[in-house]
Amino acid sequence: MTGTTLYLALVSFGVVAGVASGLLGVGGGTLVVPFLTLAVGFSQHAAEATSLLVILPTAIAGSLVLRRHGVGDLGLALRFGAVGAVGSVLGALLALALPGSTLRIVFAVFVGLVGLRLARDGLFPERQRR
Amino acid sequence: MRASAGPPEATRRHALRSLVLDPKLLTIGAGGGVLSGLLGVGGGIVMVPLLVLWARYPQRDAHAISLGAIIPISVAGIATYGVAGEVRYWQALGLAAGSVVGARLGARLLAQIDERLLKVVFGAFLVGVAALLGARG
Repeated sequence: MTGTTLYLALVSFGVVAGVASGLLGVGGGTLVVPFLTLAVGFSQHAAEATSLLVILPTAIAGSLVLRRHGVGDLGLALRFGAVGAVGSVLGALLALALPGSTLRIVFAVFVGLVGLRLARDGLFPERQRR
Repeated sequence: MRASAGPPEATRRHALRSLVLDPKLLTIGAGGGVLSGLLGVGGGIVMVPLLVLWARYPQRDAHAISLGAIIPISVAGIATYGVAGEVRYWQALGLAAGSVVGARLGARLLAQIDERLLKVVFGAFLVGVAALLGARG
């Protein structure tokens, strides 16, 4: 895929990933990373890096909507996230130190576990809160 | 002039306490951050359940806090990957444009769908994606 076709595919897939995350709270990076590696041909590292830049504006837009509705405490969230930012730098450095093939397997295991959990929550909703 | 030296004691104590995060929050935030940086995901998938089950936040607040936390978490990850030259800005712009629109659409659809069926179907789809990734690895 090149040029305009690729760009249309990227925007369309963005809508799909956005709908999934709006519906399930899952599907930002979980969908974008496999799409970029399997369909667009990105390396695992580039796919993960680019996925984070897709997640950021989505999180900002969502947080602003929630704040307008008076849900949550954005100040607390940002301080909480500042701690997470330290973890994120460490996680990214670890990822950069791993070979792409290893990172891809780690990612595959993660996606598989997320999928199993979603399916379980759908089949047995009463167990969700445990 | 002593009266204007600062906010009342109680207000100051409250402000101080709200700056200090409890150890559970610190652990959950750090863990979510590592997962986000390592895998290029938001981290909400681990932060929300831990905030609800371990830190005892209501589901809605946990969701909101996790979403807000993803802002600094993703900025730090983008900066780290950016220094390594891995971020593809142009492609991210296209995906993000679609994603912001899609997320609003999804949130609006939420009231009208069979959430259980959706979870089962989407969960099975993700397991398939995982198998495909594994086979390619």
